Amino acid sequence: MSPQQIHMELRGRVAQGVIALVFILICAGLFRLQIQRHSELLNQSENNRIRVKPIVPKRGVISDRFGTELVGNRPSYAISIVRSELDKYTTIRQLSALIGFDSMLIMARLKKNREPSYLPAVIKRDVEFEKIAILEEQYQKYPGITYDPDRVRRYASGISAQCFTGYVGEVIGQNKFSGEIPVREGSLIGKQGIEKKFDEYLRGREGTRYLEISAKGVVLGDLADRPANPGMSGADLILTIDAELQREAANSFDTFCCGAIVAINPKNGEILAIVSKPDYDANIFSGVIPTDVWDKILNDPRKPLLNRPLDGRYPPASQFKLVTAGALLEEGIVTGETVFEPCRGGWQFGRRWFRCWKSAGHGTENVVRAIAESCDTYFYQAGLKLGIDKLAQYARACGFGAPTGVDLPHENSGLTPNSDTLNRMYPDGWTKALTLNLSIGQGELLVTPLQAAQFFAGLANNGTVFTPHLLKTIIFPDGSRVSPPPQISFMLPFSPKTLKILDQGLLAAVHSEDGTAKGIAVTKYKVGGKTGTAQNPHGENHSWFVGFAPFEDPQIVIVVIVENGGNGSAVAAPMVGALLNFYLKRRTDLAESGVEKERG
Amino acid sequence: MAIQYRALDWKLLLAVAALTAIGIGLIYSAHHYSGSELRQGYYLKQIMWFAISLFTAAIVFHIPLKLFDAGSYVFYGISILLLISVLVFGSTRLGATRWFDFGQFSVSPSDIAKLALMLALARFFSYTRGSPLSGRNLAASLIITLVPVALILKQPDLGTSLVFFALMIGAWMWSGLSPGYLALLLSPLVSLIASADTLAWALYFAALLGLIFFLRPGLIFGSITVAINLACGIVTPFVWNSLHNYQRLRILTFLDPGQDPRGAGYQIIQSRISIGSGGLTGKGFLNSTQSRLEFLPERHTDFVFSVLGEEFGFLGSLIVLGLFAFLLFRMVRIALRCRSKFSSYIVFGAATIILFQVFVNIGMTIGITPVTGLPLPFLSYGGTSLVFNWTLIALALAADNAWQEY
Repeated sequence: MSPQQIHMELRGRVAQGVIALVFILICAGLFRLQIQRHSELLNQSENNRIRVKPIVPKRGVISDRFGTELVGNRPSYAISIVRSELDKYTTIRQLSALIGFDSMLIMARLKKNREPSYLPAVIKRDVEFEKIAILEEQYQKYPGITYDPDRVRRYASGISAQCFTGYVGEVIGQNKFSGEIPVREGSLIGKQGIEKKFDEYLRGREGTRYLEISAKGVVLGDLADRPANPGMSGADLILTIDAELQREAANSFDTFCCGAIVAINPKNGEILAIVSKPDYDANIFSGVIPTDVWDKILNDPRKPLLNRPLDGRYPPASQFKLVTAGALLEEGIVTGETVFEPCRGGWQFGRRWFRCWKSAGHGTENVVRAIAESCDTYFYQAGLKLGIDKLAQYARACGFGAPTGVDLPHENSGLTPNSDTLNRMYPDGWTKALTLNLSIGQGELLVTPLQAAQFFAGLANNGTVFTPHLLKTIIFPDGSRVSPPPQISFMLPFSPKTLKILDQGLLAAVHSEDGTAKGIAVTKYKVGGKTGTAQNPHGENHSWFVGFAPFEDPQIVIVVIVENGGNGSAVAAPMVGALLNFYLKRRTDLAESGVEKERG
Repeated sequence: MAIQYRALDWKLLLAVAALTAIGIGLIYSAHHYSGSELRQGYYLKQIMWFAISLFTAAIVFHIPLKLFDAGSYVFYGISILLLISVLVFGSTRLGATRWFDFGQFSVSPSDIAKLALMLALARFFSYTRGSPLSGRNLAASLIITLVPVALILKQPDLGTSLVFFALMIGAWMWSGLSPGYLALLLSPLVSLIASADTLAWALYFAALLGLIFFLRPGLIFGSITVAINLACGIVTPFVWNSLHNYQRLRILTFLDPGQDPRGAGYQIIQSRISIGSGGLTGKGFLNSTQSRLEFLPERHTDFVFSVLGEEFGFLGSLIVLGLFAFLLFRMVRIALRCRSKFSSYIVFGAATIILFQVFVNIGMTIGITPVTGLPLPFLSYGGTSLVFNWTLIALALAADNAWQEY
């Protein structure tokens, strides 16, 4: 027997002592409830009811990088029904008359809610104050109906912010869990965008009050032995967005219907503006959406719900020539000076004539000129020399065909076909004509505008690609701040020498005599850029442009795609030019005034 | 080995049967006025389970304890595999993955794992060489316990995993661990909790030093205890502060499953009011208005004691508590007179499980322990739980029957 061991008989005593202690504790608890507090609890049991009132936490506010509110809260009232206190159907009819909500709809909402019947089930949010006043005055007429302070989400409108803010909606279905923290059915959680991605931060934590209610329905106050739990507000978020640039970008679409804009800081991956057109007003999701409004959005042929910057898939068109050119240089197939067969407005491959966009032809060119003038003939030959699999391999190494990892839900991967993919798509066989098409970015190849922005941000940043992101800072209710540092996503598969040649091509596209984007005038700065005209079998071509400036020290990369906009140089390029001007001027002004500081 | 039915502890058996019968009556009462036929039929199902339990108990009783002894580690291994497979194949309800669904009824492997751990610990402590309380043995028994606990926490089910810890501590105490030393062993946990408040922790640490001075556990044990406590007390606040708010929230949510918004607070309030309204003698069988418990879906399972308190009052509750106390004292007596170490550990382990569940469940209904979802042995509605608890009794009786021979 070791020194800490006790004798067998003593073990029995200890065990009996523990048992006795447990039973004495329980008996004492029972004595307190059943003998000492009997009359008080009997009275509560016979006369009063206990009502559980959730304290809805303040959902976090979302601001842009300068503190401009993008998503806020508007105080309001919500009407709920506590089913366990509801005694007759007439109450529902009266409520229906008061709030102008069909009683069948009320019944349906009650039926759907699977929470315990003693918890209030929200029937209508954002109820006018006059109606709440009526409920307050005539509480005896409405047994089981409660009203509580609530908050309605307020989204900035007119700046196409819905594509990144997303929206909130009610939790439906039994015992839905979002993350690991349970939420009450009928409470609001993020359903899309930032609201969804950072819901756990924004949501906060619901509190609870326990109220004692007399038989007549009068609230007697908080239950004495159960203090209220105040809950916790959600955390505020500061985004990398520049609301002014966002507004300018949203407005720049002017008469065009559809498309996307992404503006990104190549030095850290911060998204400065992100636009999806056509847009919709996220505020309509705040309450219960009227069916007709919802149907109209859902059946709109322009697909406003498609989040084009990260879920829209387009052929990259001539922008992809940078990948082809990079691969060509890296593989040692050409140097900066190598020329191919001259362009005579197209190229003969086998029995087919592959046209260049410029029917007069480009003549003999090196790779820089071929990029600047976007010569198709040069890249047909390049693609053939590389082969489809090398092309696909470089495209994937440049970030295409995979999500960028942006902090938004529902991102598309796009499509970068290699020979395996094509074998599956065309079981009856395919020809090298497809390779020729792919090498100029047309055909099966599909990218998202965000992937294009990421790729050009890498070109503008010496090959280092940062993960595009929107979250700048989280501000917790206790005032503490967390700012996740920018993450390097990957390196472009190009050597510094190759990058230099590619950048020269991008510079020449804007500034040389025959450059495809010669028209965009950006005062004071040199700009690098590339046009693109995505062939669209269903209608007018899509117009792409991506530009970055200042060329020597790029601060911003902007991608614009205008669906059915036609020629890249005609539509998208001037839009990028205007936005670059706007942003660079704004930067200088801000720096000079020094008044407006970033809040992040 | 002949079974001596005359030597059987009939009084103990009678007490357990009485508890089960009372449970059936309460389940009947709980849903007597319920509109749902399914709910009204719960007591019939429980009667059927009672029969199954008796049958199972009879079989277990006739299996030689030697078999359990020899197969304890195999049984333990199987239970671990079951716990793993329930995480993979089990069905998820209320955010927890605890059950295998077989059409109409479902089985939770946690009960099997409780039994397996009880056998494994009994086996472990009855065959150790030297002192069962050497640091090595304590650590080994801790690991045997932590494996199923980790799998059950993953489900997640904090309440059930606590039963496993109770079993382990029970086995330690039955090996002769003195209460003072137990306090030293558990002190880091207290340190962890007390570290939330610097002053509270300082006071606690001073008390710990006093206890060490008084017990004189030796230089190595004493200094390790002090070091671990210091580490827990000083490091925890730093770790806690470095966590993000949402991470803290997750830990708090996990540690406190009874918190709202799922309305657990409401259940406790109603349970306390109905027990209190029962008074000294209660409102009488079927006479409780049930107005308080009407909205507790668990009133026939987790809150069956509230029905008892309301209908039969303080005196009725005392009778049930008396039956439990009688049962437990009797089991300790059996454990003391067992000749074989293994059977002694088995009986004591069974008593530990029953005592812990009684305490946590009744404590919950009167609001002195947190809501954990542990049923009240023998009284709560539930087939697996009833069969499991009757199996414990059968093992205890078998151990008693064999005390002369085995």
